[in-house]
Amino acid sequence: MSTLVIKDLCAEVEGKPILKGVNLTLSKGETVALLGPNGHGKSTLLNVLMGHPKYKVTKGEVLLDGKNILEMSTDERSKLGLFLGMQNPSEVPGVINSDFLRAAINEHSEKPVSTYQFYKLLDSATKEVKMPFDLATRGLNEGFSGGEKKRNEILQLLLLNPEIAFLDEIDSGLDVDALQIVADVICKLEDKGMGFLVISHYARLYDLIKPTRAVVMINGRIAVDAGPEVAQRIDKQGYEWIKTELGIEVAKEEKDMNTVSIGSCAVKESIK
Amino acid sequence: MKELLLDNISDNFVFDKNENFFINNFDGEKDIKITLNEDVESSLSMLSLSGFKGNINIKINKNSRLEIYYADFAKNLSKTNVSVSLEEGAKVIFHLASLTEDNSNKSFTVSVDHDAINTYSLIDNYGVVKGNGKLVFDGTSYIKNGSAKSKTRQSAKIMVFDEKSIGIAKPVLKIDENDIEASHGAVVGKISDEHLFYLMSRGLSEEKAKTLITYGYLKPIMNGFDENVQKTIEQLIEGRM
Repeated sequence: MSTLVIKDLCAEVEGKPILKGVNLTLSKGETVALLGPNGHGKSTLLNVLMGHPKYKVTKGEVLLDGKNILEMSTDERSKLGLFLGMQNPSEVPGVINSDFLRAAINEHSEKPVSTYQFYKLLDSATKEVKMPFDLATRGLNEGFSGGEKKRNEILQLLLLNPEIAFLDEIDSGLDVDALQIVADVICKLEDKGMGFLVISHYARLYDLIKPTRAVVMINGRIAVDAGPEVAQRIDKQGYEWIKTELGIEVAKEEKDMNTVSIGSCAVKESIK
Repeated sequence: MKELLLDNISDNFVFDKNENFFINNFDGEKDIKITLNEDVESSLSMLSLSGFKGNINIKINKNSRLEIYYADFAKNLSKTNVSVSLEEGAKVIFHLASLTEDNSNKSFTVSVDHDAINTYSLIDNYGVVKGNGKLVFDGTSYIKNGSAKSKTRQSAKIMVFDEKSIGIAKPVLKIDENDIEASHGAVVGKISDEHLFYLMSRGLSEEKAKTLITYGYLKPIMNGFDENVQKTIEQLIEGRM
Protein backbone atom coordinates (compact mmCIF):
# COMPACT_ATOMS: atom_id res chain seq x y z
CA MET A 1 0.00 0.00 0.00
CA SER A 2 1.37 3.37 -1.02
CA THR A 3 1.84 5.98 1.65
CA LEU A 4 2.81 9.57 1.11
CA VAL A 5 4.53 11.22 4.06
CA ILE A 6 5.10 14.97 4.06
CA LYS A 7 7.53 16.13 6.76
CA ASP A 8 8.13 19.74 7.74
CA LEU A 9 7.77 20.91 4.14
CA CYS A 10 8.65 24.54 3.48
CA ALA A 11 8.46 26.16 0.06
CA GLU A 12 8.56 29.60 -1.44
CA VAL A 13 7.62 31.32 -4.66
CA GLU A 14 9.81 34.17 -5.92
CA GLY A 15 11.40 34.46 -2.48
CA LYS A 16 8.08 34.61 -0.65
CA PRO A 17 7.53 31.74 1.81
CA ILE A 18 4.16 30.00 1.32
CA LEU A 19 4.51 26.59 2.93
CA LYS A 20 5.87 26.91 6.46
CA GLY A 21 6.31 23.40 7.76
CA VAL A 22 3.60 21.12 6.38
CA ASN A 23 3.19 17.73 8.04
CA LEU A 24 0.71 15.32 6.50
CA THR A 25 0.39 11.61 5.86
CA LEU A 26 -1.84 10.17 3.17
CA SER A 27 -2.29 6.50 2.40
CA LYS A 28 -3.69 4.79 -0.63
CA GLY A 29 -7.36 4.12 -0.01
CA GLU A 30 -7.91 7.39 1.84
CA THR A 31 -9.69 10.43 0.49
CA VAL A 32 -8.53 13.55 2.26
CA ALA A 33 -10.34 16.87 1.89
CA LEU A 34 -7.85 19.75 1.84
CA LEU A 35 -9.51 22.92 3.07
CA GLY A 36 -8.38 26.40 3.99
CA PRO A 37 -8.91 30.05 3.16
CA ASN A 38 -7.60 31.46 -0.12
CA GLY A 39 -3.91 32.23 -0.21
CA HIS A 40 -2.87 29.88 2.59
CA GLY A 41 -0.97 27.38 0.46
CA LYS A 42 -3.35 24.61 -0.62
CA SER A 43 -2.62 24.82 -4.35
CA THR A 44 1.04 25.50 -3.62
CA LEU A 45 1.24 22.23 -1.68
CA LEU A 46 -0.20 20.22 -4.57
CA ASN A 47 2.08 21.93 -7.10
CA VAL A 48 5.14 21.38 -4.90
CA LEU A 49 4.24 17.70 -4.53
CA MET A 50 4.19 17.41 -8.33
CA GLY A 51 7.40 19.46 -8.77
CA HIS A 52 6.21 22.68 -10.40
CA PRO A 53 9.31 24.70 -11.40
CA LYS A 54 7.88 27.96 -10.02
CA TYR A 55 8.10 26.77 -6.42
CA LYS A 56 11.31 26.28 -4.48
CA VAL A 57 11.44 23.79 -1.64
CA THR A 58 13.53 25.24 1.18
CA LYS A 59 13.13 22.56 3.82
CA GLY A 60 11.59 19.20 4.58
CA GLU A 61 10.98 15.97 2.72
CA VAL A 62 8.22 14.11 0.96
CA LEU A 63 8.43 10.34 0.96
CA LEU A 64 6.38 7.99 -1.19
CA ASP A 65 6.90 4.53 0.25
CA GLY A 66 10.18 5.70 1.71
CA LYS A 67 11.51 7.30 -1.50
CA ASN A 68 12.14 11.04 -1.39
CA ILE A 69 10.19 12.37 -4.34
CA LEU A 70 11.56 15.90 -3.99
CA GLU A 71 14.75 14.68 -5.67
CA MET A 72 12.78 13.45 -8.66
CA SER A 73 11.68 15.20 -11.83
CA THR A 74 7.99 15.78 -12.45
CA ASP A 75 7.73 12.95 -14.98
CA GLU A 76 9.41 10.52 -12.58
CA ARG A 77 6.86 11.41 -9.91
CA SER A 78 4.08 10.72 -12.40
CA LYS A 79 5.56 7.36 -13.30
CA LEU A 80 5.81 6.53 -9.61
CA GLY A 81 2.04 6.90 -9.34
CA LEU A 82 1.26 10.52 -8.51
CA PHE A 83 -1.20 12.62 -10.45
CA LEU A 84 -2.25 16.27 -10.29
CA GLY A 85 -5.62 17.34 -11.65
CA MET A 86 -4.98 21.01 -12.31
CA GLN A 87 -7.07 23.99 -11.33
CA ASN A 88 -6.35 25.71 -14.66
CA PRO A 89 -5.14 23.11 -17.16
CA SER A 90 -2.90 24.69 -19.81
CA GLU A 91 -4.03 25.08 -23.38
CA VAL A 92 -1.18 23.73 -25.47
CA PRO A 93 -1.72 24.82 -29.08
CA GLY A 94 -0.92 22.33 -31.81
CA VAL A 95 -0.49 19.35 -29.50
CA ILE A 96 -3.31 16.95 -30.34
CA ASN A 97 -5.09 15.68 -27.25
CA SER A 98 -5.03 12.03 -28.37
CA ASP A 99 -1.31 12.19 -29.30
CA PHE A 100 -0.61 13.55 -25.85
CA LEU A 101 -2.81 10.97 -24.10
CA ARG A 102 -1.21 8.14 -26.02
CA ALA A 103 2.30 9.37 -25.20
CA ALA A 104 1.28 9.64 -21.53
CA ILE A 105 -0.20 6.12 -21.47
CA ASN A 106 2.93 4.74 -23.12
CA GLU A 107 5.10 6.31 -20.41
CA HIS A 108 3.04 4.41 -17.86
CA SER A 109 3.08 1.06 -19.65
CA GLU A 110 5.85 -1.44 -20.03
CA LYS A 111 5.44 -1.55 -23.78
CA PRO A 112 3.70 0.94 -26.08
CA VAL A 113 -0.02 0.38 -26.60
CA SER A 114 -1.20 -0.51 -30.08
CA THR A 115 -3.41 1.92 -31.98
CA TYR A 116 -6.35 -0.45 -31.49
CA GLN A 117 -5.77 -0.83 -27.74
CA PHE A 118 -5.39 2.92 -27.38
CA TYR A 119 -8.64 3.74 -29.15
CA LYS A 120 -10.46 1.12 -27.09
CA LEU A 121 -9.12 2.68 -23.89
CA LEU A 122 -9.89 6.18 -25.08
CA ASP A 123 -13.36 5.23 -26.25
CA SER A 124 -14.36 3.70 -22.93
CA ALA A 125 -12.80 6.53 -20.89
CA THR A 126 -14.45 9.30 -22.94
CA LYS A 127 -17.79 7.51 -22.53
CA GLU A 128 -17.25 7.30 -18.79
CA VAL A 129 -16.67 11.04 -18.44
CA LYS A 130 -19.35 11.68 -21.10
CA MET A 131 -16.92 13.66 -23.17
CA PRO A 132 -17.54 13.92 -26.93
CA PHE A 133 -14.93 11.74 -28.65
CA ASP A 134 -13.97 14.57 -31.01
CA LEU A 135 -12.55 16.54 -28.06
CA ALA A 136 -9.84 13.89 -27.95
CA THR A 137 -8.84 14.69 -31.51
CA ARG A 138 -8.58 18.44 -30.99
CA GLY A 139 -5.67 20.51 -29.71
CA LEU A 140 -4.89 19.85 -26.02
CA ASN A 141 -7.48 21.90 -24.07
CA GLU A 142 -7.45 24.37 -26.97
CA GLY A 143 -10.74 26.23 -27.01
CA PHE A 144 -12.19 23.85 -24.39
CA SER A 145 -14.74 25.33 -22.02
CA GLY A 146 -13.92 25.35 -18.29
CA GLY A 147 -16.02 22.22 -17.79
CA GLU A 148 -14.47 20.41 -20.75
CA LYS A 149 -10.98 21.09 -19.42
CA LYS A 150 -11.92 19.58 -16.06
CA ARG A 151 -13.41 16.53 -17.72
CA ASN A 152 -10.23 16.16 -19.72
CA GLU A 153 -8.33 16.09 -16.41
CA ILE A 154 -10.59 13.33 -15.11
CA LEU A 155 -10.17 11.48 -18.42
CA GLN A 156 -6.41 11.54 -17.87
CA LEU A 157 -6.88 10.37 -14.29
CA LEU A 158 -8.84 7.38 -15.60
CA LEU A 159 -6.32 6.56 -18.31
CA LEU A 160 -3.21 6.88 -16.13
CA ASN A 161 -4.68 5.19 -13.05
CA PRO A 162 -2.26 6.60 -10.43
CA GLU A 163 -1.74 5.41 -6.86
CA ILE A 164 -2.50 8.82 -5.37
CA ALA A 165 -4.25 11.72 -7.10
CA PHE A 166 -4.19 15.38 -6.11
CA LEU A 167 -7.22 17.28 -7.35
CA ASP A 168 -7.12 21.07 -7.30
CA GLU A 169 -10.62 22.56 -7.47
CA ILE A 170 -11.67 19.92 -9.96
CA ASP A 171 -15.30 20.99 -9.38
CA SER A 172 -14.92 24.63 -10.39
CA GLY A 173 -16.50 25.38 -13.74
CA LEU A 174 -18.63 22.23 -13.68
CA ASP A 175 -22.41 22.28 -13.93
CA VAL A 176 -24.48 19.98 -11.70
CA ASP A 177 -24.57 17.11 -14.19
CA ALA A 178 -20.85 17.31 -14.93
CA LEU A 179 -20.09 17.43 -11.20
CA GLN A 180 -22.04 14.21 -10.74
CA ILE A 181 -20.11 12.53 -13.56
CA VAL A 182 -16.76 13.59 -12.08
CA ALA A 183 -17.81 12.51 -8.59
CA ASP A 184 -18.95 9.12 -9.89
CA VAL A 185 -15.54 8.53 -11.46
CA ILE A 186 -13.78 9.54 -8.24
CA CYS A 187 -16.00 7.23 -6.18
CA LYS A 188 -15.29 4.33 -8.53
CA LEU A 189 -11.55 4.92 -8.24
CA GLU A 190 -11.85 5.26 -4.44
CA ASP A 191 -13.45 1.82 -4.40
CA LYS A 192 -10.49 0.50 -6.36
CA GLY A 193 -8.22 1.87 -3.63
CA MET A 194 -6.82 5.03 -5.22
CA GLY A 195 -5.78 7.69 -2.71
CA PHE A 196 -7.03 11.27 -3.06
CA LEU A 197 -6.08 14.68 -1.73
CA VAL A 198 -8.84 17.01 -2.86
CA ILE A 199 -9.12 20.79 -2.71
CA SER A 200 -12.56 22.27 -3.03
CA HIS A 201 -14.33 25.32 -1.68
CA TYR A 202 -17.72 23.65 -1.88
CA ALA A 203 -19.28 21.01 0.36
CA ARG A 204 -21.22 19.67 -2.60
CA LEU A 205 -18.23 17.80 -4.04
CA TYR A 206 -17.29 16.45 -0.62
CA ASP A 207 -20.90 15.28 -0.08
CA LEU A 208 -20.59 13.23 -3.23
CA ILE A 209 -17.10 11.77 -2.84
CA LYS A 210 -17.25 11.21 0.94
CA PRO A 211 -13.77 11.98 2.25
CA THR A 212 -12.35 9.80 5.00
CA ARG A 213 -10.52 12.75 6.59
CA ALA A 214 -10.41 16.52 6.36
CA VAL A 215 -7.36 18.72 6.89
CA VAL A 216 -7.30 22.50 7.08
CA MET A 217 -4.38 24.55 5.91
CA ILE A 218 -3.83 27.82 7.72
CA ASN A 219 -0.82 30.11 7.34
CA GLY A 220 1.11 27.51 5.32
CA ARG A 221 0.67 24.69 7.85
CA ILE A 222 -1.85 21.94 8.51
CA ALA A 223 -3.77 23.39 11.46
CA VAL A 224 -6.53 20.78 11.70
CA ASP A 225 -6.37 17.08 10.85
CA ALA A 226 -9.70 15.53 11.74
CA GLY A 227 -12.73 13.60 10.56
CA PRO A 228 -14.74 14.45 7.43
CA GLU A 229 -17.36 16.38 9.48
CA VAL A 230 -14.91 19.33 9.53
CA ALA A 231 -15.67 19.93 5.84
CA GLN A 232 -19.39 20.33 6.66
CA ARG A 233 -18.63 22.63 9.58
CA ILE A 234 -16.46 24.91 7.43
CA ASP A 235 -19.16 24.99 4.79
CA LYS A 236 -21.64 26.28 7.40
CA GLN A 237 -19.45 28.36 9.70
CA GLY A 238 -16.42 29.42 7.66
CA TYR A 239 -12.98 29.58 9.32
CA GLU A 240 -13.71 31.89 12.27
CA TRP A 241 -13.99 29.03 14.79
CA ILE A 242 -10.40 28.00 14.14
CA LYS A 243 -9.30 31.31 15.61
CA THR A 244 -11.56 31.11 18.67
CA GLU A 245 -11.20 27.39 19.38
CA LEU A 246 -7.59 26.77 18.41
CA GLY A 247 -6.20 30.23 19.04
CA ILE A 248 -4.65 30.43 15.56
CA GLU A 249 -4.63 33.89 14.02
CA VAL A 250 -5.76 33.42 10.40
CA ALA A 251 -3.64 35.71 8.24
CA LYS A 252 -5.63 37.69 5.68
CA GLU A 253 -4.75 37.16 2.05
CA GLU A 254 -2.05 39.63 1.23
CA LYS A 255 -2.98 42.29 -1.26
CA ASP A 256 -0.35 44.09 -3.30
CA MET A 257 -2.54 47.09 -3.78
CA ASN A 258 -2.98 49.85 -1.25
CA THR A 259 -6.31 49.56 0.55
CA VAL A 260 -6.92 53.25 -0.08
CA SER A 261 -7.91 53.76 -3.67
CA ILE A 262 -9.62 56.51 -5.60
CA GLY A 263 -13.27 57.39 -5.20
CA SER A 264 -15.62 57.26 -2.24
CA CYS A 265 -13.79 54.46 -0.44
CA ALA A 266 -10.66 56.57 -0.35
CA VAL A 267 -12.64 59.47 1.08
CA LYS A 268 -14.02 57.26 3.84
CA GLU A 269 -10.58 55.80 4.57
CA SER A 270 -9.04 59.24 4.90
CA ILE A 271 -11.81 60.53 7.20
CA LYS A 272 -11.17 57.62 9.59
CA MET B 1 0.82 17.10 -56.72
CA LYS B 2 3.37 17.36 -59.53
CA GLU B 3 6.99 16.94 -58.52
CA LEU B 4 9.56 19.35 -59.93
CA LEU B 5 13.33 19.22 -59.80
CA LEU B 6 14.95 22.44 -58.71
CA ASP B 7 17.61 22.01 -61.42
CA ASN B 8 14.96 21.81 -64.12
CA ILE B 9 13.35 25.11 -63.24
CA SER B 10 14.16 27.50 -66.06
CA ASP B 11 15.05 31.15 -65.66
CA ASN B 12 11.42 32.08 -65.85
CA PHE B 13 9.08 29.34 -64.81
CA VAL B 14 5.50 30.03 -65.87
CA PHE B 15 2.41 28.63 -64.13
CA ASP B 16 -0.24 28.75 -66.81
CA LYS B 17 -2.88 26.41 -65.39
CA ASN B 18 -4.25 25.36 -62.02
CA GLU B 19 -1.68 22.91 -60.73
CA ASN B 20 0.04 22.07 -57.45
CA PHE B 21 3.80 21.62 -57.45
CA PHE B 22 6.22 20.01 -55.05
CA ILE B 23 9.99 20.47 -54.99
CA ASN B 24 11.85 17.91 -52.92
CA ASN B 25 15.44 18.77 -52.02
CA PHE B 26 14.95 22.51 -52.33
CA ASP B 27 18.67 22.96 -51.74
CA GLY B 28 21.71 24.67 -53.17
CA GLU B 29 22.46 28.11 -54.56
CA LYS B 30 20.11 29.42 -57.19
CA ASP B 31 17.95 32.37 -58.23
CA ILE B 32 14.45 31.54 -59.40
CA LYS B 33 11.82 33.52 -61.23
CA ILE B 34 8.20 32.38 -61.24
CA THR B 35 5.29 33.93 -63.09
CA LEU B 36 1.63 33.11 -62.62
CA ASN B 37 -0.43 33.95 -65.67
CA GLU B 38 -3.85 35.53 -65.27
CA ASP B 39 -6.63 33.55 -63.57
CA VAL B 40 -4.42 30.72 -62.31
CA GLU B 41 -4.68 29.10 -58.87
CA SER B 42 -1.65 27.09 -57.85
CA SER B 43 0.37 25.97 -54.92
CA LEU B 44 4.07 25.39 -54.53
CA SER B 45 5.45 23.21 -51.72
CA MET B 46 9.15 23.04 -51.00
CA LEU B 47 11.13 20.83 -48.64
CA SER B 48 14.66 21.92 -47.85
CA LEU B 49 17.05 19.46 -46.23
CA SER B 50 20.55 20.81 -46.65
CA GLY B 51 19.89 24.51 -47.24
CA PHE B 52 18.88 26.98 -49.92
CA LYS B 53 20.61 30.22 -50.75
CA GLY B 54 19.14 32.58 -53.31
CA ASN B 55 16.40 34.88 -54.51
CA ILE B 56 12.92 33.79 -55.43
CA ASN B 57 11.07 36.37 -57.51
CA ILE B 58 7.41 35.76 -58.03
CA LYS B 59 5.01 37.74 -60.17
CA ILE B 60 1.34 36.99 -59.77
CA ASN B 61 -0.83 38.34 -62.55
CA LYS B 62 -4.42 39.49 -62.47
CA ASN B 63 -6.87 37.43 -60.38
CA SER B 64 -4.39 34.63 -59.73
CA ARG B 65 -3.58 33.01 -56.42
CA LEU B 66 -0.47 31.23 -55.19
CA GLU B 67 -0.10 29.40 -51.90
CA ILE B 68 3.44 28.54 -50.87
CA TYR B 69 4.52 26.00 -48.25
CA TYR B 70 8.19 26.14 -47.37
CA ALA B 71 9.42 23.51 -44.94
CA ASP B 72 12.99 24.25 -43.93
CA PHE B 73 14.78 21.47 -42.06
CA ALA B 74 18.20 22.29 -43.42
CA LYS B 75 21.10 21.33 -41.19
CA ASN B 76 23.19 24.42 -41.73
CA LEU B 77 22.64 27.56 -43.65
CA SER B 78 19.62 28.96 -45.39
CA LYS B 79 19.40 32.42 -46.82
CA THR B 80 16.25 32.91 -48.77
CA ASN B 81 14.91 36.12 -50.23
CA VAL B 82 11.38 35.96 -51.51
CA SER B 83 9.88 38.92 -53.34
CA VAL B 84 6.37 38.80 -54.65
CA SER B 85 4.59 41.36 -56.79
CA LEU B 86 0.84 41.33 -57.04
CA GLU B 87 -1.30 42.57 -59.93
CA GLU B 88 -4.97 43.47 -59.63
CA GLY B 89 -6.96 40.90 -57.61
CA ALA B 90 -3.87 38.71 -57.07
CA LYS B 91 -3.32 36.78 -53.85
CA VAL B 92 -0.32 35.19 -52.18
CA ILE B 93 -0.28 33.07 -49.05
CA PHE B 94 3.12 32.10 -47.70
CA HIS B 95 3.67 29.51 -44.96
CA LEU B 96 7.13 28.84 -43.60
CA ALA B 97 8.28 26.43 -40.92
CA SER B 98 11.96 26.43 -40.03
CA LEU B 99 13.81 24.22 -37.59
CA THR B 100 17.12 25.91 -36.90
CA GLU B 101 19.62 23.77 -35.08
CA ASP B 102 22.76 24.34 -33.07
CA ASN B 103 25.45 26.28 -34.98
CA SER B 104 23.23 27.03 -37.94
CA ASN B 105 22.44 30.47 -39.25
CA LYS B 106 19.32 31.16 -41.25
CA SER B 107 17.47 34.11 -42.60
CA PHE B 108 14.23 34.35 -44.51
CA THR B 109 13.08 37.59 -46.03
CA VAL B 110 9.61 37.60 -47.49
CA SER B 111 8.49 40.84 -49.11
CA VAL B 112 5.34 41.57 -51.05
CA ASP B 113 4.65 44.52 -53.33
CA HIS B 114 0.98 45.27 -53.70
CA ASP B 115 1.12 46.95 -57.11
CA ALA B 116 -2.60 47.15 -57.86
CA ILE B 117 -6.03 47.33 -56.29
CA ASN B 118 -7.76 44.49 -54.46
CA THR B 119 -4.65 42.43 -53.70
CA TYR B 120 -4.06 40.12 -50.77
CA SER B 121 -1.01 38.75 -48.96
CA LEU B 122 -0.58 36.63 -45.87
CA ILE B 123 2.90 35.83 -44.59
CA ASP B 124 2.90 33.25 -41.80
CA ASN B 125 6.34 32.29 -40.53
CA TYR B 126 7.03 29.80 -37.75
CA GLY B 127 10.47 28.95 -36.43
CA VAL B 128 12.21 26.94 -33.73
CA VAL B 129 15.81 27.69 -32.76
CA LYS B 130 18.06 25.37 -30.78
CA GLY B 131 21.49 25.69 -29.20
CA ASN B 132 23.69 28.32 -30.80
CA GLY B 133 21.40 28.68 -33.80
CA LYS B 134 20.30 31.98 -35.24
CA LEU B 135 17.10 32.58 -37.16
CA VAL B 136 15.91 35.83 -38.71
CA PHE B 137 12.47 36.43 -40.17
CA ASP B 138 11.95 39.72 -41.88
CA GLY B 139 10.24 41.23 -44.84
CA THR B 140 8.12 44.15 -45.89
CA SER B 141 4.58 44.27 -47.11
CA TYR B 142 4.36 47.35 -49.30
CA ILE B 143 0.94 48.61 -50.31
CA LYS B 144 1.63 51.14 -53.03
CA ASN B 145 -0.29 54.26 -53.87
CA GLY B 146 -3.26 53.22 -56.00
CA SER B 147 -3.63 49.76 -54.43
CA ALA B 148 -6.85 50.45 -52.52
CA LYS B 149 -8.92 47.57 -51.09
CA SER B 150 -5.76 45.56 -50.53
CA LYS B 151 -5.10 43.46 -47.45
CA THR B 152 -1.88 42.24 -45.93
CA ARG B 153 -0.71 40.43 -42.83
CA GLN B 154 2.88 39.72 -41.80
CA SER B 155 3.23 37.30 -38.92
CA ALA B 156 6.44 35.86 -37.46
CA LYS B 157 6.69 33.51 -34.49
CA ILE B 158 9.92 32.05 -33.13
CA MET B 159 10.35 29.64 -30.27
CA VAL B 160 13.85 29.65 -28.77
CA PHE B 161 15.06 26.57 -26.93
CA ASP B 162 18.27 27.60 -25.24
CA GLU B 163 19.85 30.63 -23.61
CA LYS B 164 22.22 31.05 -26.57
CA SER B 165 19.57 30.66 -29.25
CA ILE B 166 18.88 33.80 -31.25
CA GLY B 167 15.53 34.56 -32.85
CA ILE B 168 14.83 37.84 -34.62
CA ALA B 169 11.44 38.74 -36.11
CA LYS B 170 10.96 41.99 -38.01
CA PRO B 171 7.70 42.06 -39.95
CA VAL B 172 7.39 45.49 -41.57
CA LEU B 173 4.46 47.28 -43.18
CA LYS B 174 4.82 50.12 -45.65
CA ILE B 175 1.56 51.76 -46.59
CA ASP B 176 1.00 54.45 -49.23
CA GLU B 177 -2.74 54.09 -49.66
CA ASN B 178 -5.91 54.59 -47.65
CA ASP B 179 -8.79 52.13 -47.59
CA ILE B 180 -6.64 49.05 -46.98
CA GLU B 181 -6.21 46.53 -44.17
CA ALA B 182 -2.76 45.81 -42.81
CA SER B 183 -1.48 44.11 -39.69
CA HIS B 184 1.71 42.55 -38.43
CA GLY B 185 2.72 40.50 -35.41
CA ALA B 186 5.94 39.13 -33.99
CA VAL B 187 6.50 36.75 -31.10
CA VAL B 188 9.85 35.45 -29.88
CA GLY B 189 9.90 33.38 -26.71
CA LYS B 190 10.74 30.11 -25.05
CA ILE B 191 8.47 27.12 -24.41
CA SER B 192 6.09 27.94 -21.60
CA ASP B 193 7.10 26.40 -18.25
CA GLU B 194 3.42 25.76 -17.57
CA HIS B 195 3.04 23.75 -20.79
CA LEU B 196 6.15 21.70 -20.01
CA PHE B 197 5.01 21.08 -16.44
CA TYR B 198 1.59 19.99 -17.62
CA LEU B 199 2.96 17.45 -20.07
CA MET B 200 5.64 16.22 -17.66
CA SER B 201 3.09 15.80 -14.87
CA ARG B 202 1.58 13.09 -17.06
CA GLY B 203 4.84 11.19 -17.24
CA LEU B 204 6.37 12.63 -20.42
CA SER B 205 10.09 13.30 -20.17
CA GLU B 206 11.26 16.85 -20.81
CA GLU B 207 12.64 15.77 -24.21
CA LYS B 208 9.43 14.05 -25.22
CA ALA B 209 7.32 16.99 -24.02
CA LYS B 210 9.45 19.44 -26.01
CA THR B 211 9.24 17.26 -29.11
CA LEU B 212 5.47 17.11 -28.86
CA ILE B 213 5.18 20.88 -28.38
CA THR B 214 7.59 21.61 -31.25
CA TYR B 215 5.81 19.18 -33.48
CA GLY B 216 2.53 20.91 -32.72
CA TYR B 217 4.12 24.25 -33.44
CA LEU B 218 5.56 23.33 -36.84
CA LYS B 219 2.75 21.04 -37.89
CA PRO B 220 0.55 23.53 -39.80
CA ILE B 221 3.11 23.32 -42.65
CA MET B 222 2.08 19.68 -43.18
CA ASN B 223 -1.13 20.80 -44.89
CA GLY B 224 0.89 21.62 -47.99
CA PHE B 225 2.38 18.16 -48.50
CA ASP B 226 1.28 14.69 -49.56
CA GLU B 227 1.01 12.00 -46.94
CA ASN B 228 4.36 10.34 -47.67
CA VAL B 229 6.16 13.70 -47.38
CA GLN B 230 4.25 14.42 -44.17
CA LYS B 231 5.72 11.22 -42.75
CA THR B 232 9.21 12.39 -43.75
CA ILE B 233 8.65 15.74 -42.04
CA GLU B 234 7.30 14.03 -38.94
CA GLN B 235 10.43 11.87 -38.75
CA LEU B 236 12.65 14.90 -39.36
CA ILE B 237 11.11 16.73 -36.41
CA GLU B 238 11.37 13.71 -34.12
CA GLY B 239 14.89 12.93 -35.25
CA ARG B 240 16.17 16.47 -34.81
CA MET B 241 14.73 17.07 -31.36
